[in-house]
Amino acid sequence: MRIPILKLYDYLLVSIQWELDDATALGFQEDLLQKIHETSASGVVIDLTSIDFIDSFIAKVLGDVFSMSKLMGAKVVITGIQPAVAITLIELGVSLEGVMTALDLEKGLEKLQQELGD
Amino acid sequence: MNQIVFTFITHSRDYMLEEWMNLMKENADERLINVVSNEMFVQTSAEFIDMIISNTRRNNEEFASKLSDFAEKVVRLGWPLSFIIEGLHKFTLVVINGMVMKEQVTKDNQMEIIYDLDKWTSPMKQEIISIYTQTWERTVSLQKMALQELSAPLIPVIEGITIMPLIGTIDTERAKQIMENLLTGVVKQRSEVVLIDITGVPVVDTMVAHHIIQAAEAVRLVGAKCMICGIRPEIAQTIVSLGINLNEIVTKNSLKKGIDAALDWTNRKITKVEE
Amino acid sequence: MEFQSCVKIINEWDIVAARQLGRNVAKELGFGTVDQARITTAISELARNIYLYAGRGSVCIEKEYVNGKSGMKIIASDEGPGIQDIRKVMEDGYTTSGGLGAGLPGVRRLMDEFDIDSFPSKGTKVTAIKWIR
Repeated sequence: MRIPILKLYDYLLVSIQWELDDATALGFQEDLLQKIHETSASGVVIDLTSIDFIDSFIAKVLGDVFSMSKLMGAKVVITGIQPAVAITLIELGVSLEGVMTALDLEKGLEKLQQELGD
Repeated sequence: MNQIVFTFITHSRDYMLEEWMNLMKENADERLINVVSNEMFVQTSAEFIDMIISNTRRNNEEFASKLSDFAEKVVRLGWPLSFIIEGLHKFTLVVINGMVMKEQVTKDNQMEIIYDLDKWTSPMKQEIISIYTQTWERTVSLQKMALQELSAPLIPVIEGITIMPLIGTIDTERAKQIMENLLTGVVKQRSEVVLIDITGVPVVDTMVAHHIIQAAEAVRLVGAKCMICGIRPEIAQTIVSLGINLNEIVTKNSLKKGIDAALDWTNRKITKVEE
Repeated sequence: MEFQSCVKIINEWDIVAARQLGRNVAKELGFGTVDQARITTAISELARNIYLYAGRGSVCIEKEYVNGKSGMKIIASDEGPGIQDIRKVMEDGYTTSGGLGAGLPGVRRLMDEFDIDSFPSKGTKVTAIKWIR
């Protein structure tokens, strides 16, 4: 199953709606980078509102997506991390350092606009 | 139970009570004597001794219900457990001394008598200890519940700015609860900035600091900013001397400064209205 | 032991099956959302370790009642190569697979009780318990 990536002006929007298995997560990483390349998008918002748990593998994929996108010149904001997920991640010892976060999609887009200065 | 022991105990109540009270007064600490009036002491002591004597009638069920009543009464009186146990021990001593004086103890039966008395008093000790422990456990669990109700509230001040005042000692259990309240609150109230005020936290050690850092990181993950306010001089000193790294977190010495900074972060300021 | 439920870990999909089982049982036992996330995450880490290092094994879930406390027990066992240096794998950031190295120490932090037994070339068994608050 593939995760749809939508293009909105200069940004890419991704909303992850179901539990990620390893293959889907890795497939998503590839698709997103490909899409950034095709569209030369300058910002990406990944919304995790419907995700109720993230383990260290998914966290690593997300961190990697962030660093790889940055190399390709796109800023990534992760939005909608649930309280339970945030607590679990911190206890797991994963703090997604350097990754930009926002409360929801709307705030995420605002943050990107601020960051990119337009 | 040995017939001689049984007869002695059931027939020498007044003698034993007198002796027992003398022995206990010699050993009791000042505190207890001051708290309990002499009259009260005599009354409860009599009750205590009668209670023990009544156990020689071998009706276990009656004894158990009486004993729990008695133990509860003693708990309400505030007699320490050590005092009661000492009391039982002294009672055995009184019985042996009394029997020796009446020359009822001989070389042949002394071991049997001591063994018999021990077999009789041990279950009493155990029952009393278990009732005491149950009472303590109940108190502890009630207090735990009371403490949970004290857990920190999240107060919205201005749109997007929320304050969480922390008061009292923070242990792991409470820290987890606070973290959950904090994060659900931040998401629900859509806060951009949360100020955690630690003015009311008496001690910040490595563990408390660790919990605060974790909370700040988790707040960042859900997409808000976190600030620690109310850092007093002694807390700043302990944090630095313990080598705790709070560099990643914005800290302010007072809640007022914190609110100013939070307004600044959200591009707002408070101005006086011209009259 | 009145209840035990196991998932065999043979391929990647079984990781998903194991954590779904864990989440359902946790929900049924009355754990709050945060604890549900903790349990699911812990199972995911343990199941992934089996898949990555041992190739096959199983994750079992039991309800646990001790001294008036009730909780949930996770037993992850395999007959894989075992762990050479247990102390090392319990350190944060230690990894042999290129992951985050948060797996086992993370699971210990997420759960209330944690126990690991491993014999080189015989296998590994991790037991972890979460109590209902």
